[in-house]
Amino acid sequence: MIPLEAGPGQFGDNTLYLLLFYLPFLLFLFYGQRIQAFMILGEVSRALGKLKVMREKSRKEVIDYLVNHLKPKSDPQEQVDQLLEYFTIMPVDLDPAGIVRKIEHVVTVRNERIRSEIKRLASESDMIKVSTAENILEAASSINYIYKLVRHFYLLGKKTSNIYILLQLQMIMPMVLQEADALVNALDAFKQSQPIGDGIGPMVVGRMMLNLEKTEISRDTLLAKTEYKGRTLYLIKATGPGGNVGEPGTAVEKLINEMGVKINAVIMIDAALKLEGEKTGEIAEGVGAAIGGIGVDRFKIEEVATKYNIPLYAVVIKQSLIDAISVMRKEVAESAEKVIKIVYRLIEEKTQPSDNVLIVGVGNTLGVAQ
Amino acid sequence: MATMIPSIGEKRGKQIVYTIEECLSCGEKTKRTFTVGDYVYKGNGQCKKCGGNIYITMIYAEPIKPTE
Repeated sequence: MIPLEAGPGQFGDNTLYLLLFYLPFLLFLFYGQRIQAFMILGEVSRALGKLKVMREKSRKEVIDYLVNHLKPKSDPQEQVDQLLEYFTIMPVDLDPAGIVRKIEHVVTVRNERIRSEIKRLASESDMIKVSTAENILEAASSINYIYKLVRHFYLLGKKTSNIYILLQLQMIMPMVLQEADALVNALDAFKQSQPIGDGIGPMVVGRMMLNLEKTEISRDTLLAKTEYKGRTLYLIKATGPGGNVGEPGTAVEKLINEMGVKINAVIMIDAALKLEGEKTGEIAEGVGAAIGGIGVDRFKIEEVATKYNIPLYAVVIKQSLIDAISVMRKEVAESAEKVIKIVYRLIEEKTQPSDNVLIVGVGNTLGVAQ
Repeated sequence: MATMIPSIGEKRGKQIVYTIEECLSCGEKTKRTFTVGDYVYKGNGQCKKCGGNIYITMIYAEPIKPTE
C-alpha cells in the first residue's frame, strides 16, 4: 500500500487538505440539488428572456400590420392585447359521442369571432389583408401562449424549489425555442403574403384549377370541375391568395352527401412533417385522409369515404416544421410538378374512364391563387 | 412518438425570395426577385416569344450564397 502523503506530518497537518478534498462532496451531498436547480433556473431564465423578446416582437408586428394595411379608426393596441389573450374552451369529452360536431361548432365560432374583430378594427375590407392579419395574429398568439406557459412552469419550479419541474423545462427548452423562432420567421412570410411550405397542396390543385370556372362550396373553399382521359375531376382547395385553409371536410361532405356526386376515388395532397434525416421536398404516397389540424375535417372525410366505400389516396410532400410555416423552399416549390404527374398516374391506375375523382389540395393557401 | 416530435428543421439564415414567371404555352421561364403583390398563378401579361399567357408559377426562398 502506498501511504497517502499530502503534507509533511501525519493526520493533524493534513486537515486542510482533507477538508478541501471532502468539502465539495459534502456540499454536493447536501446542496447538490439546490446548486443544480440554481443553474437550471439561470438557463431557463435566459430562454424565457428570449421568448419575451419574441413575444414583444410578434405583438409589434400585429400592430404594425393593422396600422399600415388595415388603417384602423382608433389605436389598435388594446384590442390586439385582448385578441392575443383570446381563448377557446374545448367541449367536454366525458361522453365522447358526437364530440367532433361540438369541436367544429366551437372552432367555427372562434374563427368567425376573430375575423369579425379584425374586420371591426379595420377601415378597409380587403379580404386578403384581413386573412393575412388573422394569420399574423394566430402566430403571435401562439408565441404569447408559449411564453406564458414557460413562465408559469419557471415560476412554479422556482417557488416550490421543485427541481423536477425545472429539469423537464430545461430538457424541452431547445425545442420550444426553435418552435417559437419558427413562428417569428413565419411572421415575415405572412406580412408579405408569400407562399409558405404548407401551401404546397393548394399550389398543386391551384395549377390544375387554372382557367377553370370555380364556385364556393364551403367557407373559403372553392370547387372546380374538369375532364382527364374520360374521368371527371372535382378539384377542391382553399380560396387564395389570402391565408385561408378553408373547410375541405365540409366541402367533401357537401359534394358527396348534398350534391349527390358519386365519387370513385379521393386523392388528397398535403404537406407532411418530416422526420430528422428525411429530405425536404421528398414526395411520399400512401392511403388515408392526408389532412392535419384539430381533426374535424379528417373525421368528416373519413366518415363520408367509409359510408360510400370510397378509397382515399394520399400524396404528401415532406418538410420540417420551420419549412412548413416559413416562405416555401425551392425544393418544395419544385416538387409541385412531380406531384401533378403522380396525381395523374394515380388517376390512370386506380380509376376507370367515366369515373369521378375528387382531388383535394390541403393547406394554407397564402400567396397561392387558382 | 415520432409524429409528436417531428423535425423542427435548421434555423434559416439570410435568404432571397424569388418569383418564377412561366409561359404556359412555350414553357419559357424567367426568374426575378419577389415584389410585394406577387402571388402564385397571378397572370402577368403575354409571352414575347409565342404570345401565350404568362403566370407566376413559383415563389420560393433561396439562401444567400456567401461570395468567394
